[in-house]
Amino acid sequence: MAVTANSETSQIHRFPQYKYIDAVRWLPVLSAFNRFAVLATFDYDSDLSSIEIHSFKPNPISFEFQSSWNSPSRISSLKASQFLQKTVIAASTSSGSLHFLFADSSDATLESEVSVPEDELHSVSESSIDLMDGGVECVTVGDDGRVNLVTVGNSNLNYRRLFDSGGLVSYTAVKWASPVEFATGGYGFGLHWWDQRKPGGPVSQFKGNWDKNLTSGIVHSIDIHPSRKHTCLAGGSLGTVLAWDLRWQQQPIILSGTGAGDGNTAVQSISESEVWEVQYDRCIKSNTSSTRILPSMICSEDGILGVIEQGEESIELLAEPCAINSFDIDRHNPLDVICSLEWEAVAILTRQ
Amino acid sequence: MSPNTVGNGALIPFSGDTTDSLAVYPLHHDLARPISRLAISWSRGNSLRVSLFAEPSVNPNTGDGAKVVEVKLGGGDPEITDADWRRIAYGSVAPFALLQSRRSSLSELSKSPSPYHLDWWEHVLQYSKDITSLLGGPKLSPSLIIEDPNEIVQKNEEPTCLKAAWELMEIFYVDKQSQAWLPERLVDWLADYDSLFTSTQETIHGKLVDFQNDLVNIQVIEDDPRYWEVMSSALSVGWLDIVVKMLRLHGSYQLDQLSNRELENGLVEAVAVLISKMPRLRPESVVGNLGECFKSKPDFIKAWEKWRSQITKLDCSPFWIQCDNQQTREGLRDLLQVMLGNTESLCTASCYWIELYVSHFLYIRPFTIGIESMYNLAQKCIQLKPPTGTHRLTELMIGILEENTEVVLAEISREFGPWMIAHAVELLTAGSEQAEILLHDERDNLGGISIVELHRLAYAQILSSHTLTWQIAPIYLTSCMKQGMGLLENLLYRQSVQHKNTLLKNIEICRLYELDHISSNIMKVAGVYHWKHGRKGAGVYWLQQSQDTSCLDRIAQQLFDSVGKSISDESFKQWEGIIELLGSESKPAGGLEFLHKYRDFKKSLQMVYSGKSTDAARQAVGSLIMLMKNPSTPQRFWLPLLYDSLKLLNWKDSPLLSVSETNLLLNKLQELSLARQRPHFTEPSLPPQAPSSIRLALATNLGRAILDE
Repeated sequence: MAVTANSETSQIHRFPQYKYIDAVRWLPVLSAFNRFAVLATFDYDSDLSSIEIHSFKPNPISFEFQSSWNSPSRISSLKASQFLQKTVIAASTSSGSLHFLFADSSDATLESEVSVPEDELHSVSESSIDLMDGGVECVTVGDDGRVNLVTVGNSNLNYRRLFDSGGLVSYTAVKWASPVEFATGGYGFGLHWWDQRKPGGPVSQFKGNWDKNLTSGIVHSIDIHPSRKHTCLAGGSLGTVLAWDLRWQQQPIILSGTGAGDGNTAVQSISESEVWEVQYDRCIKSNTSSTRILPSMICSEDGILGVIEQGEESIELLAEPCAINSFDIDRHNPLDVICSLEWEAVAILTRQ
Repeated sequence: MSPNTVGNGALIPFSGDTTDSLAVYPLHHDLARPISRLAISWSRGNSLRVSLFAEPSVNPNTGDGAKVVEVKLGGGDPEITDADWRRIAYGSVAPFALLQSRRSSLSELSKSPSPYHLDWWEHVLQYSKDITSLLGGPKLSPSLIIEDPNEIVQKNEEPTCLKAAWELMEIFYVDKQSQAWLPERLVDWLADYDSLFTSTQETIHGKLVDFQNDLVNIQVIEDDPRYWEVMSSALSVGWLDIVVKMLRLHGSYQLDQLSNRELENGLVEAVAVLISKMPRLRPESVVGNLGECFKSKPDFIKAWEKWRSQITKLDCSPFWIQCDNQQTREGLRDLLQVMLGNTESLCTASCYWIELYVSHFLYIRPFTIGIESMYNLAQKCIQLKPPTGTHRLTELMIGILEENTEVVLAEISREFGPWMIAHAVELLTAGSEQAEILLHDERDNLGGISIVELHRLAYAQILSSHTLTWQIAPIYLTSCMKQGMGLLENLLYRQSVQHKNTLLKNIEICRLYELDHISSNIMKVAGVYHWKHGRKGAGVYWLQQSQDTSCLDRIAQQLFDSVGKSISDESFKQWEGIIELLGSESKPAGGLEFLHKYRDFKKSLQMVYSGKSTDAARQAVGSLIMLMKNPSTPQRFWLPLLYDSLKLLNWKDSPLLSVSETNLLLNKLQELSLARQRPHFTEPSLPPQAPSSIRLALATNLGRAILDE
């Protein structure tokens, strides 16, 4: 564990795990004393993948292993949410299975697990999922072009296919917008908007009238703010972060990116590489204008964890020599951010 | 060496000439039948995968037919686990990269071929400190808040040979500032790492730990001869704190005895004070350590002489005769002899030659300067205390003192592996131009590369063989002038394109090192991979990124097969996604460009059918002509396209096509009827009268158009 004081604004603690961390999330646990994080790990030496729960205590600082569940293969997407006094962890694996783990909401002990076996939902390795906030509906999308909806009951699972593009379109990211709507992202910065009430395909497609110079890329992550459901925030290749407002469909608002052509100097870029994850920053200053896009946090392949705000200088919270694969902002303590470093470590950042 | 099978199923390596230098390792495999075939391949990391196939048997129940055994080559370093090696590998990337960039900017600045520079060692020292901070062993549990009065030896972390070796090289090669107090640095080094030698011989540290473990069983400490023995040993290597702490455990300090043993206690305390006042030639001591530090030599000499005269005075004092405790008297005077530098005392007090060596620096020759005189002293100590076995640290130390760079290289390479040698060469070359020339000279027997490059390449190969570390290998490869780039290309081509993250990382590395041609090839491979696995969209995306028009053309033909069937139905909607992907027309889409235009044509045609606007019809005709003119429009679409546009050709109000446009379409129709004669022509699923009705419509249109013009 190393402590670095990054200027005077935040405290960083690094915890080596000696395992590759595929994804990391805070657990929404209601405990006054303990905070918990869930890690999707891959132990190269034993070839074991697992979901691990760790407890984090700020004073004195500690990040200790609590319990784990062995996964049949590597985790490709990990989400956590709260439902009826239970903490739900959903994870999709590289072999195509989907698992739901239920944990006690006060001490985070793992209690039960239900799963969808391989090949039922997706036929390929790469898939992305999103768990509805406070719900049990999980939407899964994959490289194979399938979109599925999985509903978790008390002891059973129901799932149905909403769409199958037959591989003509691959999906790489998904996010709920409302109980019936969600957005997906894919290759060529493609963003689709879906409404379960109108089945048979996406109800709206983002038609990027890109400048001729703009280089296309892949969307890796999407976020939608509960108070502004019409705006879809997406992060992807070439340091690109863009906002797609459904009301002004043809004009994406580019918040960051190097692919924006030579003439376009108005857009700064916080990173030059893949933006692996993007989330609205839960810690917002009160004076944010309502017409602007809310500030968002990103992590990237070139080791940047930072905050982007429309029309402002971006803030680098962390600049690592290795990639930052994923991060999560604690919803109860939005000053605390956890992120997974490619070099087999986890970092916890406490902003002042 | 070819494997040979022996009747009993054992594998014996077979070799023609050198039979004496062979080592035979038995391999356990549990196969019941004799082995007929065997295959060897590399497995993960340093492991070999040996596949053994038994002779075929008629009876299927005679046990397994084949077995795969993994053989781990080399035991590795027992001190450091694989995961810990990876931690060290990750952590050393940044210091290494920083040092390389400093080297290149310095050599650019000075315009000299050699980066040897006056204050270059300062950069190397910074690098060395960064690396040292990585090499610490696991932290031991923090010491108790209430200090245990009986705890003599304290440890903060488990020492490792790797760190000890690194620090030893830093002391001798890098840290020019402390050259003047090099002996004192060796004293500190031994204090940190003496315990490492316990594995091969008795050490003072080991004696101290044993004594401490027995401490609870000892009633009267000063009556135990080991108490005095251990103290003079610790004093001989300069562990003043420990000695003073032990002296204070002396029975005469106990309150109930203080009055009876006042004189004895006075003597103990006098020795303790003298020990804690020992002058040291060094800038400053670690916080809390005893001894008085002097930076300049004259000050030190003055203090040293004063201190020694105080010792002599105490040694000759009449109080000794009055002291009636014989153990205390003899023990204390032994300590004084150590401080006075009595060779015999030092020799008995120390356990092996390095301890004796350090004690010589402390009490006999505090001014030893220069590697040569240090080497002579070491030889003398080895003669006095001949080593019973070899230890990797002693071998390294002798190599350093001999000033033999080759021996040092060989030692660290053999004992500490490729990580160590790849990083330690920076230390070896830090201060010596001679070593610099030796290590950076290009050698014909190494294929024209230098020793430095050779070791970096070897280390990069180790990194490349591991899934988690391959991505740091480029840092080392790009610092190799001769063969680095070639191996980097190999490494990048070797990575799998299956997983999106690996693929993107690979492309990112290409971007960083401006290897556009490689990334373009990798994207091509990825495109074909995805295409073949049914992910057409992803395939098209990667092929477009690699700007491979010929491949796009080829897959376009396959794609049109499925488009053709759904030419007029609703399911064309699903093509929207892939058409969006193709993006603007500035992007190379190859034959897929057709899809874009086809979509536009379909849309305007739909508008024509829903309304009756002539404008929409004109637009549709425009799209049709564009499609027919475009060479990328596949021939098999010509007839269906024309058949779909019958309504346009027979437009009531006015002819929509000009004479030349009509002629173009007629020519295409003619071309089609010629093509029909060729063997591989596939007839589109249209009504049989379709061609004739198109021809009729075109002819009518031509007539009307001529009249109009």
